[in-house]
Amino acid sequence: MPIIRPRLNDFYDLPFTQSEVDFVIPFLDEDIPFYVDPFLLWKSPSMQDNSLHTAMVNSFNHLGVLVNAGREVEALQILVSLSECREVGLGVSKTKRGARISVKTAEGILSLFRSIPQLVTHGFTHLEEIQLLVDNVARDRISDIACNFMKSFLIDYTIEQCEQRGIPLTKSPAMPIYDYKSHSFVDEDVFLPQNPETGQPIILVPKRWIRHFTWIGYDDYFEKYYIPEIGIDENNPPSRIAILNFNRENYGQVQLYVERKERSQQDCRNDPLFTPIPVLSANRKLGTILNLKTGNADRADREYETNVSQLLATLLYPHLDFAQEQSRTDSGVLIRDLIFYNSRSEDFLQDIFQDFGSRQLVFELKNVKSVEREHINQLNRYLGDNLGRFGVIVTRNGLPRNIFQNTVDLWSGQRKCIIALTDEDIELMVSVYESRQRLPIEVLKRNYLDFIRACPS
Amino acid sequence: MNTKQEFRKVQEQIEALHSEIDKLAKKDPNGAINKFKLAFINEVLTKANAILTEEYLPFAQFRTFDVESVPSNSDVLLVLSQYMSSFQRKSVDDTPPLMEGLLGDM
Repeated sequence: MPIIRPRLNDFYDLPFTQSEVDFVIPFLDEDIPFYVDPFLLWKSPSMQDNSLHTAMVNSFNHLGVLVNAGREVEALQILVSLSECREVGLGVSKTKRGARISVKTAEGILSLFRSIPQLVTHGFTHLEEIQLLVDNVARDRISDIACNFMKSFLIDYTIEQCEQRGIPLTKSPAMPIYDYKSHSFVDEDVFLPQNPETGQPIILVPKRWIRHFTWIGYDDYFEKYYIPEIGIDENNPPSRIAILNFNRENYGQVQLYVERKERSQQDCRNDPLFTPIPVLSANRKLGTILNLKTGNADRADREYETNVSQLLATLLYPHLDFAQEQSRTDSGVLIRDLIFYNSRSEDFLQDIFQDFGSRQLVFELKNVKSVEREHINQLNRYLGDNLGRFGVIVTRNGLPRNIFQNTVDLWSGQRKCIIALTDEDIELMVSVYESRQRLPIEVLKRNYLDFIRACPS
Repeated sequence: MNTKQEFRKVQEQIEALHSEIDKLAKKDPNGAINKFKLAFINEVLTKANAILTEEYLPFAQFRTFDVESVPSNSDVLLVLSQYMSSFQRKSVDDTPPLMEGLLGDM
């Protein structure tokens, strides 16, 4: 059954939310725009994470040993192989197929072990420094190199998590895995979950290791260290290449920057996969919605849709994970709706799954004064095998009596359930989001139960 | 506990709840009341229903709050006010007339 923006657990019909699990739930057809930040392992209170960081840095520095022992070709091959780890599915790729680094970039990285005296003698302490020294290396590369060094651990972690959550494992033959003892890639047969769409193995990553930007990174260095400490001519700012050259020639500056970042490690935290908007912001958005006119004059409909989608994604979290906002056309009318994964975290969500086959919930947005029969029909036509037979119309006012009866008749005739969520309901949801006396999702449950009670038994 | 003591106890509980919810309702009349408070309110209302009997119940259809209906502070306050009135009315009705007592003493 095709669903919108499918995740691994959706395919296997496993009801858990992102907030309940320790790992990042991978999408099946696109990457997740987060990266493994090795600094989070370095600063972690867990000895396991610290040890993994040490092993990772040692392994990377071994490339320097190879370079200085005249085995540059071997080091080059290892580094190129390390530069892409598509099994973890992190990054911005829409196709889940990243590319390895070029030989030229790899040579640039390896040359650091010869040209910078501090690295020749002591090696790196943080892999992320490469971003400050070599062009074409950014957070995605750092993340992939880190994951490849830790692949053996990540496979064990993936197996453990899959066994806990009931995700099926399949044999992935001859997977190249970096071996810490021999400092080389060894092919191993491993059991991993598979992407059902591509057949590719999937490796899970703990949520506590991920960030949007690495703590030590080029942009942060440029803004917070280079400009204030080195200074730039604002009329003629230096190019990125010039700054990288400067850093290679003045590695002491990079070390000072890294020391600062180490000292401020308390501020370095993993990024949450979803950040609910704060209460103040929720109240502002509600105020905007309540003051909007109905209809599409002055783009009121677009503003309504934007504000409602941001509000609902927050109000329904963590019980419903937001999948995506989408647009479709029905009878020449542009319709916008929100799709949530039905994680069955509440009893009524379980009922909706069982009774209406809804693995995802659709919320159709209608900035109209009064919902008409055609609006119900548009949603009714959309509900079906893919999305299940449950839908919510988010609109300004309650359904008129005849339209409500229309929804009851739809239930009687086709066992489809369409409920409304009005301004008043959203106001109550925001109120309980602020007061924390009840859960906003309970308002949705109330409306669902009211509808079911109105249906003939 | 005899009937009179039970009557007084439940009446006092309703008055105390009314006083508490009144504060919440003044702050946020449309705010939802939490499940914890609602469970206690329903417990007291169940006892009150048994004491008042059909004759004095303030509403024909209402007995306790449906937790799933997310009642607001003002909803709860309205109901508690009505129950307070009913308790006062029953209390007055159950008190023997003053003259009757005096005649009995003679």
